[in-house]
Amino acid sequence: MKFSYNWICELVEGVQVSPKELGHLITMKTAECEAVEPFGEHLAKVCAARVVEAEPIPGTRNKKVLVNTGRYGLKTVVCGAPNCRPGMTSAYVPAGVALPGGEIRCLEISGVVSDGMLASGAELGVNRDAEGILELLAEPGEPIPGCRPDWVLEIDNKSITHRPDLWGHLGLAREVAAILRLPLRDPVRLDWLPEAAADLEIEILNDELCPRYSALTFEMVSVQSSPLWLAYRLETIGLNPINNIVDVTNYIMAELAQPMHAFDRDTLRGNTIFVRTAAPGEFLVALNGETYKLDPATVVIADARGPVAIGGVIGGLDTGIVAGTRRIVLESANFHASSIRKTSGRLKLRTDASMRFEKGQDPANTVRGLARAIELFQEISPGIRLSGGLADAKRELPPPPRIALELDWMERKLGREVAREQVVEILRALAFGVEEESPRRLLVSVPSWRATRDVSIKDDLVEEVGRMVGYDSITPQAPLIPSAPPPANELRTFHHAVREMLAAQGFTEVYNYSFVSEETARRFGFDPAEHVAVLNPIASDQGLLRKSLVPGIWKNLLDNSRHFDSFRLFEIGYEIHKRPGELPDEIDHLAAAVYEREGDGRPGLFELKRLAECLMPGCEVRPASARPFEHPARSWELRWRECALGRLFELHPTLAAGRAAVLDVDLRKMRELGPPPKRYQPLRRFPSSAFDLSVVAGLRDLAGDIEKRLVELAGENLESIRFLRQYSGPPLPEGKQSLTWRLSVFAADHTLTAEEVGAIRARLIDGLRAAGYDLRL
Amino acid sequence: MMEKELEALAARALERIEAAGSPEELEAVRIEVLGRKGALARFSKQLGTLAPEERARVGRILNSAKEQLERSFEARKEAFHRRALEQRLEAEWFDLTLPAPGPRPGSLHPVTQVQREIEEVFLSMGFTVLSGPEVETEYNNFDALNIPPDHPARDVQDTFWVEGGHLLRTHTSPVQVRGMERLGPPLRMIAPGRVFRNEEVDASHEHTFYQLEGMMVDREVSVAHLVYFMKQMLSAVFRREVSVRLRPGYFPFVEPGFELDIRCLICGGSGCAVCKYNGWLEQLGCGLVHPNVLRMSGIDPEEWMGFAFGLGLTRLVMMRYAIDDVRLFQSGDLRFLMQF
Repeated sequence: MKFSYNWICELVEGVQVSPKELGHLITMKTAECEAVEPFGEHLAKVCAARVVEAEPIPGTRNKKVLVNTGRYGLKTVVCGAPNCRPGMTSAYVPAGVALPGGEIRCLEISGVVSDGMLASGAELGVNRDAEGILELLAEPGEPIPGCRPDWVLEIDNKSITHRPDLWGHLGLAREVAAILRLPLRDPVRLDWLPEAAADLEIEILNDELCPRYSALTFEMVSVQSSPLWLAYRLETIGLNPINNIVDVTNYIMAELAQPMHAFDRDTLRGNTIFVRTAAPGEFLVALNGETYKLDPATVVIADARGPVAIGGVIGGLDTGIVAGTRRIVLESANFHASSIRKTSGRLKLRTDASMRFEKGQDPANTVRGLARAIELFQEISPGIRLSGGLADAKRELPPPPRIALELDWMERKLGREVAREQVVEILRALAFGVEEESPRRLLVSVPSWRATRDVSIKDDLVEEVGRMVGYDSITPQAPLIPSAPPPANELRTFHHAVREMLAAQGFTEVYNYSFVSEETARRFGFDPAEHVAVLNPIASDQGLLRKSLVPGIWKNLLDNSRHFDSFRLFEIGYEIHKRPGELPDEIDHLAAAVYEREGDGRPGLFELKRLAECLMPGCEVRPASARPFEHPARSWELRWRECALGRLFELHPTLAAGRAAVLDVDLRKMRELGPPPKRYQPLRRFPSSAFDLSVVAGLRDLAGDIEKRLVELAGENLESIRFLRQYSGPPLPEGKQSLTWRLSVFAADHTLTAEEVGAIRARLIDGLRAAGYDLRL
Repeated sequence: MMEKELEALAARALERIEAAGSPEELEAVRIEVLGRKGALARFSKQLGTLAPEERARVGRILNSAKEQLERSFEARKEAFHRRALEQRLEAEWFDLTLPAPGPRPGSLHPVTQVQREIEEVFLSMGFTVLSGPEVETEYNNFDALNIPPDHPARDVQDTFWVEGGHLLRTHTSPVQVRGMERLGPPLRMIAPGRVFRNEEVDASHEHTFYQLEGMMVDREVSVAHLVYFMKQMLSAVFRREVSVRLRPGYFPFVEPGFELDIRCLICGGSGCAVCKYNGWLEQLGCGLVHPNVLRMSGIDPEEWMGFAFGLGLTRLVMMRYAIDDVRLFQSGDLRFLMQF
């Protein structure tokens, strides 16, 4: 939202601070001022100039013109404007001045050196008229009337969504007046309003959606260009001047935050304005030329025939102001904020009016806007007159309840003291009514323009006082609170520990999106219907929520394999599993991967197995039936403490070139299982004895099974077991392998004799043979 | 007579010990002189032939010669050992500038790292760290935070809706609601986490990013306390004393609400490209918890007060490391991630 510094200065008496300083103060006390930029800087050097002579330059449309510029003396310029004639007063731009369209230089045109130029309103950026040079009522050398250099303060729209009043200059001026402790000048004089009876009926059929509809009727209207001051002011704040009538409505909107609309009364059917919701099938061709289909949630302004405007959003084309308009109906209404917001969203049409109404405008403001319009119309449309009194339909709204403000409580909230007199002064400067009920308790009434949604509770008043005394006046202070360790978050502690370990083992952490595309889900053999679906994705890869981290890891593998021959990465993230009737189950998982472009893939899997053992001492892998994205002969289930909690597999070779080992663990299960309880075992007091056993087994017999059998068989005599080597080849028969372990055995209460060791060994050998294994002895 | 021979023998043996060129040679001398059948042994056998007085005297001389020889023998032996060790050690030199085997060190995601730092700061000040789900109820994400269905603030936060009437949380603030409902007052908590906004992605916009939310609810909680904690946190994050300022900001779940800026760390406030020449950098939104928010979570706002803040973690990390493209965070690109 753009604000004119000059305009604010007209509304606040005696502003001495610079535009930049004002922008800073507004940022610190009211709303974020994003930029303070000069506007119309060049106008300081442009002046009125009288055309003394204008002689056509043969063979061109240009004239060689001698002008009396007052300030700059007599100048010769070349001018091609059709309206350039001796005796007229126009605007002279000296050479060296930068206009919005570029810098003016001394140029030879049609054989004549033009020392500066005479300019049109469009060239000066004060209106849109490019037909001819400006015609002014001013003496040579004087500035262009109503067109002083200005500054634009740009306020961040997001920072004033809660402040309907700040969508007009008067609202911001009131803040400035309060900040600078200067008097505010209200431009509205309600005594302009006529007392006569209205010559127009207004019927509001839904006063929830339209609490108030006020209108005035005018006749003897002359539609023409706005005076320079008005057009220039609109240009300054980024609005497009159109004609005097429309410009006044826009001017009042920018001044009072009250959107208005003018209808050509001769195009309206009947003498009653209806405010109602649209009937099915109704549509409107709007001022912007678009046709809008209306639905029954939309508020329309209608005449006897049908909709003539979408209430609070845009007027209709057929009933708009045109050059020949003679009689108008001037609407100044109030609409329900969220209804306007929804309509504007539905129609994908945000207008200056809808932007204001959706903030919750003040119903009391409608007639203020009309009063202001009467005054302005007198000036810009000579001969105009009211054809009737004020038409004003409204729902009576109760005055907002007063708010009791305990000053002690307020000071506790702010963390500093504020003198009662200062609180009262601040609130009154912001137009709150203050009654001092007791020395430490105020009764505060809220001005109507703050009461629509912004201010309703005492906390809101803390803000008013706090921002005006200045938050930088509050000294940071440590609270007095009991010191105690905060409740632990085991999930986070656990995740951080896992992360630390992974990073220490050479794995780099990635973050992947929570989304997966339907296509990728299918590629991994997941049923898209089992995923939580996103209802309004903007990209096709956001269609579903991931229920596995593996597709994300797969993408990381593909992407990084373009840059690296070998790498390790991991992610800790949430699998999102659908649960009918409640929020999805979000299960934290660890996915880690080792990629090697070359090799047989075993080292990666072994590395991940070792990693799993670091995380879960004693975990084991069991053969698993491969899922579609897993290497069919290299898919293992990870078990720990009797519980399956993950997978260790090689990615299916069709998914990635090279070898990609992947570990996927359910961290929630891992956390719930926790490490087995630790208990001290007395140190062994008698020496142990070691021997090796070589077991001959089939090539796909699992070493893990054999070792488990050995452990069982050795029972309480086992001190340790260590795998030594695996061998296949002669003299072993085809299809056989030899697996060798070294076992240490002991007894708790004596040193084992050679015979006892022999007996244990024999027990193991017998046991293995019984299980169908041979031994190489 | 024997005495003279003994002296000559000892002198010769000493010379040979000194002259021995190898441990083997030295050992040969030892056997010859000090061995069981060596020269000194032969002398001691001859002692018996001497008169008792003479025997004692020569015996002492013999012992002293033996001790002297043994000492020099040991010294010489030790010298050989030392030299052998020195030679071995010298030969064991190798080039440790060669790369170590095994994987290179990995690294944690930069957001993880900064998040943990902030967690530690708050843990040390008695705040607990809470987590919440990525998929949230509309109630927790909006209604319970004083953002009713027709509130304009819902427009600002473009929302991903998912089936079942739920949504991907648009901020970490719903964890406030969960924290208040679960732990009740008094409460000091932070909640870092992943949040979602349904918008187009470019170098400065992401649909997935990280926030860190914080809240304190107690009997006495003021703006002064809020600023205190924010200063503590930001000074810890930026590892130096930072100046902060509060200015009005609007967030439906706080009243009053603030934007908190820090004095630009690059220019110190004099104005530079990073702070867009205004000397201050917007850091976070904060405020005193709106009484509606307390009430909706079953906390009586007449008895309890609170502050809350929300920090753009992703943005903070970008600032810390001068990262200019927000898409890198979820790219999984190790060329980026391994820099941290």
